[in-house]
Amino acid sequence: MSEFLHQLDRALYAALPGALVALLILLTLAPIRLPDVLAVAPLLPLMAVYHFCLFRADALPAWLLFAFGIVFDLLQGGPGTPVGVSALQFLLVRQAILGNQKYLVAVSFTFIWLGYAILSGLAVALSWSATALLSWRFIDPQPALFQYIVSLFLYPIFGWVLGRGRGRDPLNEPGSRT
Amino acid sequence: MALRKAVVQTAASVVHIVQRFSLALLVAAAVGSMLIGKADTVILERVRAAALDLVTPLLEAISRPVATINGFIADVEDLANLRAENARLREENARLLAWQSVARRLEVENAELRGLLNFKEGPQATFITGRVVGDSGSAFVRSMLLNVGRRAGVASGQAVVTGEGLIGRITEVGDGWSRVLLVSDLSFRLPVLVERTRERAILTGDNSPLPKLSLIQSVAGIQAGDRIITSGHGGSFPIGIPVGVVASAGDGGIRVKPFGEVVRLEFVRVIDYGITGLVTGPAPPPEMFGPPAPPPKPAAAGKTR
Repeated sequence: MSEFLHQLDRALYAALPGALVALLILLTLAPIRLPDVLAVAPLLPLMAVYHFCLFRADALPAWLLFAFGIVFDLLQGGPGTPVGVSALQFLLVRQAILGNQKYLVAVSFTFIWLGYAILSGLAVALSWSATALLSWRFIDPQPALFQYIVSLFLYPIFGWVLGRGRGRDPLNEPGSRT
Repeated sequence: MALRKAVVQTAASVVHIVQRFSLALLVAAAVGSMLIGKADTVILERVRAAALDLVTPLLEAISRPVATINGFIADVEDLANLRAENARLREENARLLAWQSVARRLEVENAELRGLLNFKEGPQATFITGRVVGDSGSAFVRSMLLNVGRRAGVASGQAVVTGEGLIGRITEVGDGWSRVLLVSDLSFRLPVLVERTRERAILTGDNSPLPKLSLIQSVAGIQAGDRIITSGHGGSFPIGIPVGVVASAGDGGIRVKPFGEVVRLEFVRVIDYGITGLVTGPAPPPEMFGPPAPPPKPAAAGKTR
């Protein structure tokens, strides 16, 4: 019995990042309106992707991120909006983290936040330019900018909540960050 | 045996290559799907419709607690400015009562004059009420998902309104869902009239909160504060739905502030203007005087879901 529970625990632990990204995608689509902050939702899925690629990259393989990105674009886009931008964002963020892990492992939270600021900035710039290029029109960048700034200030809270979960890691082995 | 070994070896090397280039392949696939979406929208729309068919029930389930939370936030906000709101409403009520008497008089006068002229009204519109179950949440698309679709009589191109005015038009329809493209979206175009001057124009969304008026013949007469209404040109929109007021008129173009408040909407109405052939009643006999009788109400329309 305890063996079974242990296995269940491990399975849930392994499935957590993917499930959370999926949940955040749904939450982004839900018609939640915080008091007049913005017309656009914060970049919740991107935050989760950044966080988990940093600490649990094995639980978010590239193909899964690709699938999530495509589904996200399909669901939130209207006609004529490019499908695949989010997939590209997620994949590039993952690759950028894996390629620069030595600068991001065992550093203070400020640096992790700085990394998030840079990568999410690049990701927003990518989706803005891709959308503008493919629709061949100038798009007002202000909503995207607001979205970026709000997400930037939400990330510490988000990271803190997920960091608490990390303390209860059932595997609890050093070096499981890869 | 040798064959089997060869197969295993080939498979292993294929797996190795795929693993090695998986990222490149996936990136290429993402870029490819963007280009495919640009070249052939039909396939993509079909896939999108299938995905939305699956997800809409989920979104509908989470939209109810979300509506409760939104209502709670709105309550707290309302409590904060109750006094000011009360004063404003009293003033507005006095003004509206004056207007009501004017409207009553005009209504009677209008009916009499129409009777004299044998004036033919446009087709009668019916309403389909739907719940907002999803939001695009994206910085580049301004759209909403509704829980009414083809089954309820919603069709592509119909106008979507709230009590205040127009908020958008239906662009995609599934069996049990539909997507509203909001007035402020990048690809929204709408023929409109400036109410005071009867000037025709096109309202053009550009992702900013204030859409632009374009293709106006004479800019000179238009002032800030002028009301903009739908012109009824181009089909499925009835004439005279309030759209917004001119927020600024200057050299940088004319900007319109939409009436329809998109923030924290729970229910909207889809106007079925009969163009789809679903609700057109029998035409009134030509010798009849006065406005035509309203067409019989179909079972699906006017129903809150």
